[in-house]
Amino acid sequence: MNVPTRKNVLLAPVTVTPTKPLTPSHLKGLLWTDVMFRATAPLAAVDYRYSHTTYHVTEQTVGFWEYLDRTQGETDYAQLSEEEIGELYVRHRCEGPRQGAGVLRPYRDAVEHDGWVHPASERMLGLWAGHYERLGMHDPGLREHQPPGLALEEMVERLAVAGLALDQRHCGGPVYLDLTRHGMPLRRIVTADGRPNYLACALRELLPLVPWYDEVVLLYDRELDADYRLLHRVLTSLGPPVSRVPIGRVPIEGKIAPARLGGWRGHTAGALLRASAEVCESADGHGDDALRLGMRLYFIATLGPGQQQSFRHDLLRHCLTVAARLLRRSGSATAAGDLPEVLERHRRGHAYVDPYRLACSLLGKGRPAPDPELLSAVFL
Amino acid sequence: MSPFPLSSAALLKSAADRVRSARPELADGLDLSSAQALRAVRAGLNGARTAPDEEVLAVVVIGRLDLPGWVRETCAFALGLAPTQREAWRRSFTRTVYLAGSPANLRERFAFDHVAGDGSAAWAGPAPGARTATLRRLLKSFEAAHELTAQRPATVTVPGRPGTRGPVRRELYLATARVSVTGALVHLNHLLAEAVLDGLIGPGDRLTLRFVPRLSGLGARLAMLRVDTDVHRPDELQACAGLTTEV
Repeated sequence: MNVPTRKNVLLAPVTVTPTKPLTPSHLKGLLWTDVMFRATAPLAAVDYRYSHTTYHVTEQTVGFWEYLDRTQGETDYAQLSEEEIGELYVRHRCEGPRQGAGVLRPYRDAVEHDGWVHPASERMLGLWAGHYERLGMHDPGLREHQPPGLALEEMVERLAVAGLALDQRHCGGPVYLDLTRHGMPLRRIVTADGRPNYLACALRELLPLVPWYDEVVLLYDRELDADYRLLHRVLTSLGPPVSRVPIGRVPIEGKIAPARLGGWRGHTAGALLRASAEVCESADGHGDDALRLGMRLYFIATLGPGQQQSFRHDLLRHCLTVAARLLRRSGSATAAGDLPEVLERHRRGHAYVDPYRLACSLLGKGRPAPDPELLSAVFL
Repeated sequence: MSPFPLSSAALLKSAADRVRSARPELADGLDLSSAQALRAVRAGLNGARTAPDEEVLAVVVIGRLDLPGWVRETCAFALGLAPTQREAWRRSFTRTVYLAGSPANLRERFAFDHVAGDGSAAWAGPAPGARTATLRRLLKSFEAAHELTAQRPATVTVPGRPGTRGPVRRELYLATARVSVTGALVHLNHLLAEAVLDGLIGPGDRLTLRFVPRLSGLGARLAMLRVDTDVHRPDELQACAGLTTEV
């Protein structure tokens, strides 16, 4: 008998730095990854790598921490909401010239040597863990210490051996990721004064991990496409097939604004969850499930992989209502008992399941009632 | 050019001579009588630029920087230029763009006009900007913000078979105080390129690179200077690099 071997699959989404509230764009990426992870799990041995530890050393995060300590002094961050911490972040990013590398060094050292996390980000991650739970999302270790496999110097050295790094620190220059051999532009990954960017962090994490897998999936914001093409090229050279899955952001009133400008006000995950809970209260005992399924129907099936549609409260509410209806119908259906076979249809030649196709398969007139086993394994 | 000791007048004359030599047709109508006037002339020339089809630029791609080696290869590059390229480059004030990049990674895609023997740097042009546009898009400006530190003197031999003139020895002085590595490259590049175009540097010549905080008080007789704005006094000129007469 020919028994198919289970492949080892790595899902490596870009992380959200715990410095500002989760926005609709973030929720979309997180739900997308969660559905991919849970739908792939019955078919393959899948790891969901999501390490905040790896990215705390980027300027966005340690710069914010230094700002907080300099301007806020002793503050009980455990009492602050994610919006209040987010407002401090907006103020920090308006502050003007960025801090010197020396000022940030104690923060980077504390992360590198001791896994230290500033209490403001601890608080943020604690609040996010609550959102994950409410949304039924798998927690990939939000508050765990998950250091990258390579130190910064080890990563640069490994790239250099492969002819992929241009290290000009000897004369006061930066370190570049160098894929010019493949006609791709030179990209700075460590500044002359030693600040790594998120791409350097991703390389520290993924270079040692990728060779252990049969297939790797990179999920990221569409804005990061140029960098992820570079990352994809580097990782592909390590052996396994690597897929890029760009996910479009969710414009707010037609605009895709960076979180540092505070465009999230009124649209944070917390605010959306509160508003959605009110809608779901009337869902005949399916309240929590309707919220989880409805959010996935909206952020995955309705918004799709692109970023043309602005966020719409009315459409989200509609999806919550549809979810409640699907749950009612599903409650009277019997499990088909062939979950892997159902999921298999949405793999499209990869080891991983396409969340968009899978979520869309639940919708449409004349569809049979959703398989309760599928819903509980993937969508609730 | 006759040798001269270093003085304010010598700095001014050197800077004015450079303009006259590059653009003789313009020089008569320009005020080259003071440092301030020179600065205005330079700003004017930069602003107006030569007609785009006439202006040329060289591109140097730097992977690993070893200053003495770079001096040697810069001379080799300039010596390899055809007479028409030399003339066009001089009229463009030996304009050069410095990029960070690995010549080894680029050689399959770009035909460089000169590559250092150890592969640490490569040169293209001088040519109209369009010829190197793709290269410039792919790479980044060379960044080397470190202040230049004094090093032991180093002697290099200019590559190539000596001509009828026979090889000579010269010293090449470089000011280091408040000069970044990038700044030093710019000064040396113009000085060396123009010395080659003037026939002061030829194949087989030996150049001893000497690092001093500032060239002032230099007893050596100088055959050519690189003059720029004083690092301390923006209204005055400073000798940033100098090539001596034969030693």
